[in-house]
Amino acid sequence: MALLERNEWYDIARNTNWTPTHVTEAELFPDVMTGAKGVPVEKWEVYDEPYKTSYPEYVRIQREKDAGAYSVKAALERSRMFEDADPGWVSILKAHYGAIALGEYAAMSAEARMARFGRAPGMRNMATFGMLDENRHAQLQLYFPHEHCSKDRQFDWAHKAYHSNEWGAIAARHTFDDLFMARSATDIAVMLTFAFETGFTNMQFLGLAADAAEAGDFTFASLISSIQTDESRHAQIGGPALQVMIANGRKEEAQKLVDVGIARAWRLFSLLTGTSMDYATPLEHRKQSFKEFMLEWIVGQFERTLIDLGLDLPWYWNQMIAEFDYQHHAYQMGIWFWRPTLWWNPAAGMTPDCRDWLEEKYPGWNDSFGKVWDVIIDNLLAGRHELTLPETLPMICNMSQLPICAVPGNGWNVKDYPLDYQGRTYHFNSEIDRWVFQQDPARYRDHMSLVDRFLAGQIQPPNLMGALQYMNLAPGEIGDDAHKYAWAEAYRNNPYQKKAA
Amino acid sequence: MSIEQSINAYRNNRVGPILRASEITEGVIEAAHEDNPGKEIRVQDKTAYVRIETEGELVLNRSTLERTIGRPFKMSELEVNLGSFAGRIETTDDYVRFYYEKTL
Repeated sequence: MALLERNEWYDIARNTNWTPTHVTEAELFPDVMTGAKGVPVEKWEVYDEPYKTSYPEYVRIQREKDAGAYSVKAALERSRMFEDADPGWVSILKAHYGAIALGEYAAMSAEARMARFGRAPGMRNMATFGMLDENRHAQLQLYFPHEHCSKDRQFDWAHKAYHSNEWGAIAARHTFDDLFMARSATDIAVMLTFAFETGFTNMQFLGLAADAAEAGDFTFASLISSIQTDESRHAQIGGPALQVMIANGRKEEAQKLVDVGIARAWRLFSLLTGTSMDYATPLEHRKQSFKEFMLEWIVGQFERTLIDLGLDLPWYWNQMIAEFDYQHHAYQMGIWFWRPTLWWNPAAGMTPDCRDWLEEKYPGWNDSFGKVWDVIIDNLLAGRHELTLPETLPMICNMSQLPICAVPGNGWNVKDYPLDYQGRTYHFNSEIDRWVFQQDPARYRDHMSLVDRFLAGQIQPPNLMGALQYMNLAPGEIGDDAHKYAWAEAYRNNPYQKKAA
Repeated sequence: MSIEQSINAYRNNRVGPILRASEITEGVIEAAHEDNPGKEIRVQDKTAYVRIETEGELVLNRSTLERTIGRPFKMSELEVNLGSFAGRIETTDDYVRFYYEKTL
């Protein structure tokens, strides 16, 4: 029997806008869950998902994707890639799995909310597949690191991170709760699928895959690029939702959701992806700099699409572009300096060749960030390790939950952006973070940053050991320099000389 | 790239598929040339992924792909290797189209 082509039955099959009789429409689709912003249901009927699939196709395609990812893993299991890999690369894997794996379960819940409360049948249909996608991503990214747990317990943090109060985990939870766990179906469509998945996941799942392939880690390159093929499909849930909102006079609301989404994703991924690409990836395996990947994926591709859909550049566009040159360098100093508080071993990425590369990619790096690393190197070479470890608390941004930091040395621009609200002073990393807070203060006001908790006496004893216990970091898990400081020896009796331009 | 150039780097009209390292990549590139006559098809190989781009609109027909890949091919199979894409997308049983509505 000849089967119909999908387009011959799809529109009829996915039309699930039935007329409820046992409850009212408003009870079935409460505004608080749909987030339809007063746009009536009939206006949503024009919603047409551009990247379609059907259940039989989905099952067949996903089976093929999984067969591909698992067979690459199986084929390379005995390749000793993991044993022979640069410790910096192994650290990238640990940081990635801890920061991402359980976030995928959160994304699954968010997709489920769209599957149930999406205002358009097409949105509900695609989100059902999106929900299955995200479940796949969580399971894959828990299963792949699991084989390493017996050799290195930091890999246990693939599952543990989100259950802990480790500061990076708090930052990731805070961001993802804001972007998609505590949002309505429409907000999720805009903030998760559009702002996050057509934008920043490309950086971590395709940009980083390019570095992975260069580093010879074909298992990881195949895994994360396979995951991104799912994202690429269900990320298209957001575009038509934006179009419905704009067509019905809700552009301002849509723009704000997108701007908040980009602002928040940018902070988290400049830490995770930025430090992975420009410091932890061994120099000879770097395909491009983080800034070059940002220009390729976020500026050249994502922002271009945003304009095409009828939105504008975020108001902070110029500021964000300027941050491409320094934010992740500042975070790198933060994670390396506070390394006992990580579940991975950060690579300094600080050989003389690395510094030449940083100077080439980010002119002026040696006169700003390099000056701080000079002091760290002097202390390491003089045996003063204790001076390279934290004794004080950083200032934490009450939005990103990451340290407030910017450019040191020449060009110093580190500054707190405070806000007094209902008797409490909040601190922010930039005008952008403060603006996000001001869009919905009630949403954010009660959260306490790790330092707020410290100052409130919730972390005892109030020292590094107490903080490590609070962060659930056990001995054998706490981070240290990935290369056991061997890189510093290159500078003994041989201070760094900037290459002539 | 200067700050000014970076700020304006969104001003482009590049569209097209971004494929994972795969056995269909060469066939897709060939089909892109055939199905978009007269257009310059640019290919950037980043090892883990390959960007296939042109200006404004890029179409891939199923019938062309079956020939260039050399086997029966359902349009939905493209998804296995479609890591991302530049532009907007239209998916049908017979072709896939990447495009922008506005020209910048």
